[in-house]
Amino acid sequence: MSDVREDILARLVAIVATMPSIKNVYRNNVDLTEDQLPAATVLDGDEETSDHTDASMRPANRPTLATMNPEIIIFKIAPDVGPDISTLRAELIKLVLYDTELNQQIVKTGRYGNGAIRYLGCQTDLGWERSMFGALKANFLFKYTLRPEEL
Amino acid sequence: MSHDFSALLFDPVYAILGVPATLTAGAMAAVQITVIDHTRPKSQTSNSVEVRSVESAAFARIPELTAKGITRDKYEGALLSFNGRNWIVRSKELRGSPNGEDFGDVRFLLKAAP
Repeated sequence: MSDVREDILARLVAIVATMPSIKNVYRNNVDLTEDQLPAATVLDGDEETSDHTDASMRPANRPTLATMNPEIIIFKIAPDVGPDISTLRAELIKLVLYDTELNQQIVKTGRYGNGAIRYLGCQTDLGWERSMFGALKANFLFKYTLRPEEL
Repeated sequence: MSHDFSALLFDPVYAILGVPATLTAGAMAAVQITVIDHTRPKSQTSNSVEVRSVESAAFARIPELTAKGITRDKYEGALLSFNGRNWIVRSKELRGSPNGEDFGDVRFLLKAAP
């Protein structure tokens, strides 16, 4: 039994938990309070295949390529939140793109298989609460082989 | 205007809800004023994630500020202490009065002092 999608998401939570400036890491927690910050939430992403264009005689249970777009949102309240968020963004991108377990064992990028990991970009949210509030949502793409027989 | 809203409205409201505060604007000496703590819940939503905190604010009477030498250009950046916490005025909203804005109150929008 192996679900690559779940393995990726679980690994993302573990990776974000290693960021020294992040106090709490959650998965799909959509309700936070200021005393939990700085925090990060890993949101399960949509998964897609290109099989809607595949009208061949290929058996339904054969492996196929899937892509998933999880989102990681970082939150912080601080007097000068801009540079703090930038630092966290840089840490996050490096951790995800360089993670050996994600690249070699789970997604199997490069010479390990036909998977891929891409950083797609980020969006920010700013506002005033007790102090300046900043959020950064980083979007990643994971391409991997979905093997129905292993689910 | 036949009614004095300072006496009819603001005086009793501040007498009941007001708390003592210390305001320090720029290089001026600190002054004692009365404010109404207007801290309220506030949340920010990013994607589908809500982060709950507070918006810190306080009302003060413009006639009292003016009488103590705190003109409007001195509001922003002033240090305001009340109810055991220290804040910096980051912005303001003038609330006015039927007797004219100079007789109304101002809502200081605050941020935590470092």
